[in-house]
Amino acid sequence: MSLAVMDGADYMRDPRKHHFHPYADNGGTSVAIAGDDFVMIASDTRLTRGFNILSRDQGKVLGLTPKTMMASSGCWADVLTLKKVLNARLTMYSHEHHDVMSTTAVAQLLSTMLYWRRFFPYYVSNILAGIDEEGKGVVYHYDPVGHMEKLAFSATGASVAQIQPLLDNQLGALNMKDVTPPTITKELARQLIHDAFVSAAERDINTGDGILIHTITKDGTTDEKVKLRRD
Amino acid sequence: MFQVEYAIEAIKLGSTAIGIQTSEGVVLAVEKRITSSLMIPSTIEKIVEIDKHIGCAVSGLVADSRTLVDHARVECANHWFVYNQDMKVESVAQAVSNLAIRFGDSDDDGPAMSRPFGVAMLFAGVDKSGAQLYHMDPSGTFLEFGAKAIGSGSEGAQQSLQEAYHKSMTLDEALKVSLTVLKQVMEEKVSGSNVEVAAVTPDKGFHRYPQKAVEQVIATL
Repeated sequence: MSLAVMDGADYMRDPRKHHFHPYADNGGTSVAIAGDDFVMIASDTRLTRGFNILSRDQGKVLGLTPKTMMASSGCWADVLTLKKVLNARLTMYSHEHHDVMSTTAVAQLLSTMLYWRRFFPYYVSNILAGIDEEGKGVVYHYDPVGHMEKLAFSATGASVAQIQPLLDNQLGALNMKDVTPPTITKELARQLIHDAFVSAAERDINTGDGILIHTITKDGTTDEKVKLRRD
Repeated sequence: MFQVEYAIEAIKLGSTAIGIQTSEGVVLAVEKRITSSLMIPSTIEKIVEIDKHIGCAVSGLVADSRTLVDHARVECANHWFVYNQDMKVESVAQAVSNLAIRFGDSDDDGPAMSRPFGVAMLFAGVDKSGAQLYHMDPSGTFLEFGAKAIGSGSEGAQQSLQEAYHKSMTLDEALKVSLTVLKQVMEEKVSGSNVEVAAVTPDKGFHRYPQKAVEQVIATL
């Protein structure tokens, strides 16, 4: 580059493309499975950035109400902000309506909140799990701009490509002839979540270190921590 | 607050409206003042639908009530949009109350109403805690009632309601009581064309009683 151009003002330089990188991918995988009277929601505990591990002990499941939990992963900064805004909305609701929000209401609220950011979205993959008004376990899956789907089981995040086909096969009995799907018990759900994360940790560097499994029933929630490979 | 006191006095000149809450649902009945034989009675609308599960009876300056009813409808629609659930009756009363006491304010949206709204309202609805009846006056105060009368005949009507009301009332009984009380306090002879009746039930939501059905009940009084 000639000296004259280097000394020149900004607008005199060659045209150059500027880039804006507002998002980071911090990995993380979540799975939720609904039963008749319970729902299990789990996430791994690894937080990454590229080849670096930022944390080995960061669960991604947030308790929202006594009957509702949300697993969130993607850009961790966005996860934290979404969590903060959502909790504020939940508090405002309970003040305005003198009531705790039902799981179905939280599900719709989350979808609406995500869609408000349609043109600068929160870079997050969400699963919402809870007990509905009838006492049944429910799972809602979201895309980053708020498309919502009510399901019996779902995976999301870094290792979704490894885990979702496993759940489809084992719980949904999908793409098979003359196979009836199993009744989803706590034992089956717990075992499948464990196996799914172990396989994912083998193949995907963005998933690992540990699993935090949360179980919600009408009586409350319980947590369990399981170790995963740390390399 | 003289303005509010005068507004509360003004609604005592309005036509009588009655609401009765039962375990089966809520009944609303209002008097329609036919001031001229050339008037078309069916065009008087003092009971309106807020949402499929909430109805509202008004007394006082009906034109003022349109603003409040519009607000209530928007709040219900927005609540459905954001939360995918029916808004609670209490929350609707709260939302309307918030608007009713905003007179005199001005903000970025421009000046608010310069005076209080000259209407009293009865909100009848069914939500997850059952059938409910709320009353709101121009001061924005809202309270839940088993049975409530507003408007010019409200003093006598409230007395009669107190005597007739009991917790195990059926919807049909409440309908009959509401028309009996209206008959007592109305200056005109009660008929199918000078009263408006509606109910909100868990099964059917908000629904009006056709003139024929009202006439049948009046005949039994």
